[in-house]
Amino acid sequence: MLSRFTRLGTTLPRILANSGVRFVSQSQKSASAGSATLSELLPPQDSHDHGEVNHYVKNPDYHGFSTDPVVDQWNMRLAFFFGVSVVLVIGGTFIHYLPDYGMRQWARREAERLLKHREAKALPLIAEDYYDSSKIVLAAAGED
Amino acid sequence: MLKILIPTLFLLPTTWLTSSKWLWPTALTQSMLIALGSITWLNNTTDTGWTALNSYIGTDPLSTPLLVLSCWLLPLMLLASQNHLSSEPMNRQRMYITLLATLQLFLILAFGATEMIMFYVMFEATLIPTLLVITRWGNQTERLNAGTYFLFYTLAGSLPLLVALLMLQNSTGTLSLLIIPYAKPLLLMPFGSKIWWAACMIAFLVKMPLYGMHLWLPKAHVEAPVAGSMVLAAVLLKLGGYGMMRLMIVLDPLSKEMVYPFIVLALWGVIMTGSICLRQTDLKSLIAYSSVSHMGLVAGGILIQTPWGFTGALILMIAHGLASSALFCLANTNYERTHSRTMLLARGLQIALPLMTTWWFIASLANLALPPLPNLMGELMILTSLFNWSAWTLILTGIGTLITAAYSLYMFLMSQRGPLPQHMLALPPSYTREHLLMALHLIPLLLIILKPALLWGWFAC
Repeated sequence: MLSRFTRLGTTLPRILANSGVRFVSQSQKSASAGSATLSELLPPQDSHDHGEVNHYVKNPDYHGFSTDPVVDQWNMRLAFFFGVSVVLVIGGTFIHYLPDYGMRQWARREAERLLKHREAKALPLIAEDYYDSSKIVLAAAGED
Repeated sequence: MLKILIPTLFLLPTTWLTSSKWLWPTALTQSMLIALGSITWLNNTTDTGWTALNSYIGTDPLSTPLLVLSCWLLPLMLLASQNHLSSEPMNRQRMYITLLATLQLFLILAFGATEMIMFYVMFEATLIPTLLVITRWGNQTERLNAGTYFLFYTLAGSLPLLVALLMLQNSTGTLSLLIIPYAKPLLLMPFGSKIWWAACMIAFLVKMPLYGMHLWLPKAHVEAPVAGSMVLAAVLLKLGGYGMMRLMIVLDPLSKEMVYPFIVLALWGVIMTGSICLRQTDLKSLIAYSSVSHMGLVAGGILIQTPWGFTGALILMIAHGLASSALFCLANTNYERTHSRTMLLARGLQIALPLMTTWWFIASLANLALPPLPNLMGELMILTSLFNWSAWTLILTGIGTLITAAYSLYMFLMSQRGPLPQHMLALPPSYTREHLLMALHLIPLLLIILKPALLWGWFAC
């Protein structure tokens, strides 16, 4: 039922919740008692905003940057423009058009081209020997 | 290089001279233009590998993705921090942006350094702004302890590194990364060379972090404000990985035996920290331990010293940087609403904030390495190269992958599904800023699927 009051902001339901039974101390108030209730440890702090302020009350178009609506809107525009349009899009385009470092993409295209050519001519796709076997000089069997 | 360094340096006068009304939009715009400029580094023009080369700095296919990631992260950090800093005095806000900008500067110089002492100095220099951000802007009293752990773990590891680098300089006459691959290996007595190997590696293993030396990470990540967590998870851990990849070249003959315990520790760490994730109640702590888990896999990939291992490590570093930073931003959106990191207190958010659930879903899928995201590609390459080295590692990495999926799913289900708690019926809806922040994290991650060759490092050719 209390959740219906959230439409008015955050303070009203909190006050109503705080005045409930939960915060009534059940323990003996003596010096030797070690326990303490939550209300003694954390007294309700109304004056201490600390993030409880609902910014949308004053500025329905709050973007999360600043309480001043003009600065908030301009900050949002700058953040999106430079973050997305400039860095991600222009930077991304720059990266896309970077030259083929180490000729990797060329190597792939060249390999596919050679394969296509050799398959069409029914040639062996790759030579079995990596080195030219006529150039390898082996020691004779009896020698050391 | 200067077209990025000078605007980054001049971000400092920008933050102090802009009027308080336009501080955040101006800083954001300038940092995004710097990020645009950093994309030009991805154009590797030379066959030797080193582009944009001068006496002190240069970029090569290994450092370029990390540089772009660092430069992209600054606008995202500013977007994430804008809300929680809005209630602070102006000078503190300006100081915060100044610290983030100087951190950015040191990171660019660190990743771009061609001389190892310069890398070392910048590696240490990044500790200072991060320490200030954690200890001065963290939200709980544990932040002091976290800062101490963070600083002293890294310093204790890096002092031996300084000695090791100086010994190398003494014997080789140079520490330039262009020359050192062709220099004679450092010859010491057998035990001395093992100590020297360990001295070179420990600093980076602590930074990565390797399981066993990882205790600083959950503390630092949890206590840091959102921008601190983002930069720690996304970039600073990768400094460790990058340093290891650079230094591996000079350590060559020794590494064959010396890596064995560290690979085992890294893989065991994947499983252990993954299991710890399943028992976490604190959301940021869960994401922090998941970072240790992923970085354990990266460490394994680097230590194995094969082309696929290195490539997989680099891809996983970038992908994890984006995904982990996205998760920390999501955790922050929860924290700003409930002021608590306890997962039980912020359940069933799909009902309250359905659009944010989309981002939670994509970020969780990225974390659990769903194909065709680069997270999986990196993990698969590392997995394969480890399997090639020893078939038994498959058991560890396989169980690790399973546990990763389990805790990512657990995190998603705990935060999004289930009943909405009674005390949270009045949450402010998600802001445009938060949606933009998540989009700017995850859209680049999705775009990398289309051109993963950007992240292949040295082995792209």
